[in-house]
Amino acid sequence: MIKNKTMDKRIETIHTASDYISKIIGGMTPEIGIVLGSGLGRLADKIVDKIEIPYKDIPEFPVSTAVGHEGKFILGRLGGKQVIAMKGRIHYYEGYGMNMVVLPIRVMINFGIKTLIVSNAAGGVNFDFKVGNLMIIKDHINLLPNPLIGPNIDELGPRFPDMTRPYDLKLIALAKKVAAEMDIEIKEGVYLGSTGPSYETPAEYKFFRRAGADAVGMSTIPEVIVARHAGVPVFGISVITNEAHDDYAEDYVNDGNDVVAAANAAAVKMTALIENMIKEME
Amino acid sequence: MTNIEAIHAASHYVKEHIGGLSPEVGIVLGSGLGKLSDEIKDPITIPYSAIPGFPISTAIGHKGNYIIGTLGGKTVIAMQGRIHYYEGYPMNLVTLPIRVMKVLGIKYLFVSNAAGGTNFDYSVGDLMIIKDHINLLPNPLIGQNLDEFGPRFPDMTRPYEPSLIKKAEEIAEKEGIKLRKGVYLALSGPCYETPAEYGFYRSVGADAVGMSTTPEVIVARHSSIPCFGMSVITDIAHATDDEDYVTDGEAIVKAADAAADRMSLIFRKLIESL
Repeated sequence: MIKNKTMDKRIETIHTASDYISKIIGGMTPEIGIVLGSGLGRLADKIVDKIEIPYKDIPEFPVSTAVGHEGKFILGRLGGKQVIAMKGRIHYYEGYGMNMVVLPIRVMINFGIKTLIVSNAAGGVNFDFKVGNLMIIKDHINLLPNPLIGPNIDELGPRFPDMTRPYDLKLIALAKKVAAEMDIEIKEGVYLGSTGPSYETPAEYKFFRRAGADAVGMSTIPEVIVARHAGVPVFGISVITNEAHDDYAEDYVNDGNDVVAAANAAAVKMTALIENMIKEME
Repeated sequence: MTNIEAIHAASHYVKEHIGGLSPEVGIVLGSGLGKLSDEIKDPITIPYSAIPGFPISTAIGHKGNYIIGTLGGKTVIAMQGRIHYYEGYPMNLVTLPIRVMKVLGIKYLFVSNAAGGTNFDYSVGDLMIIKDHINLLPNPLIGQNLDEFGPRFPDMTRPYEPSLIKKAEEIAEKEGIKLRKGVYLALSGPCYETPAEYGFYRSVGADAVGMSTTPEVIVARHSSIPCFGMSVITDIAHATDDEDYVTDGEAIVKAADAAADRMSLIFRKLIESL
């Protein structure tokens, strides 16, 4: 439980939401937090002995309005460990302030998670990536507002958190080992987060590629920054749902439903990978 | 008042003052490019200050009126002066005039601006067709989606209509007007770019840089309105700035003025061809 020495309103909000959840889950102590991105909710079906808590029932909680996001916490066991999963995240493009976007992460931190696993559907910027590829996020470029702007919450972490290793090297090594054992092809790359909600123009894709991005999306990074602020190790994975083009053909069409469909197909692989990783985690 | 109510209240006021006209083309006239509005026949002028909920343009060289009338044989609605994010207005007000034009039923949006050239080949007074953009301003669609206007995640594969670009190039060739074609990068301003920032923008693919336009285009594309955009290059890139080099707003307005005639001609002919 995060202490509230400074009577910070933001910590009060975290406590209010956590108290509600505590009453429902009793003495469960989730070890691993999981954020399930667009169309990647399937992993939640693998959780056993589960308790579901819709965000709309949690005091102070924002409600996820994005396509393919249901908006609930699912607590239970996965790969033999206690987990708390977010089926549906809060996106900045929905119009929420960053405090609201990261509130669910801070609630999970308040419950004492030791690891955070984040997933998302992302557009491929790297020409080698195909729709349905899985990409381990090895690093990120944040073009969203920083969620730590404002008075620092000292109870959670330092004013200037280090970002040298946003994604835990041991977890990346574990993912590669597990993927090899399962014969799952896996890419590794840099995720760039921008606000959306409009998709990128071809010129923006080029810019991001030149700047070192392999994939682009509208989420994840605020969650990772907040977790790293609190010293929680993070593993991130993107499902590539869109392929990069240099010049777009006249009949090229891009729509959100395709993204959800492509994510669904790759979600099976991602689900198995994460479940096996959790089994092997210490 | 919600965002959507504000759009409808403003649209209602404009409709009441244009006597049954239904504009087909919306035009946004950038810094110093207001001249085109002189060519609009039988103009009805509606100052932004008279429209309920409308922001007032405070930028140099921007008058702040809608002008409705005939240009190139079509009914048009022109914005003589746009709203900039750097003026301190939130994005829903910056793009309110575009949403109003959508409600009035425009089929095309033409946007223009004065921009700094990041491409070393460009000279002051050049005209550049905007073929694509890089948006470094806040996205105007952040917030609850206006489902009446378009989808949650609008595609941006073709922000600028390829068939209009092609027509404009044909017109320019016939008229003997030299055209550039490039990528416009938008940022908030209001300070001009540092030499290092110019270098950054050039290295990521920008040909010109300015403080407007992309929010308007994103909102128009949200509603699937085909867009045509043109920049007047009013400032040129320097690799490292000379000690005596000065950028000032007045010079920009002057350079834009000189190029405005050629741009007006292309806009008028392009509208004629629609």
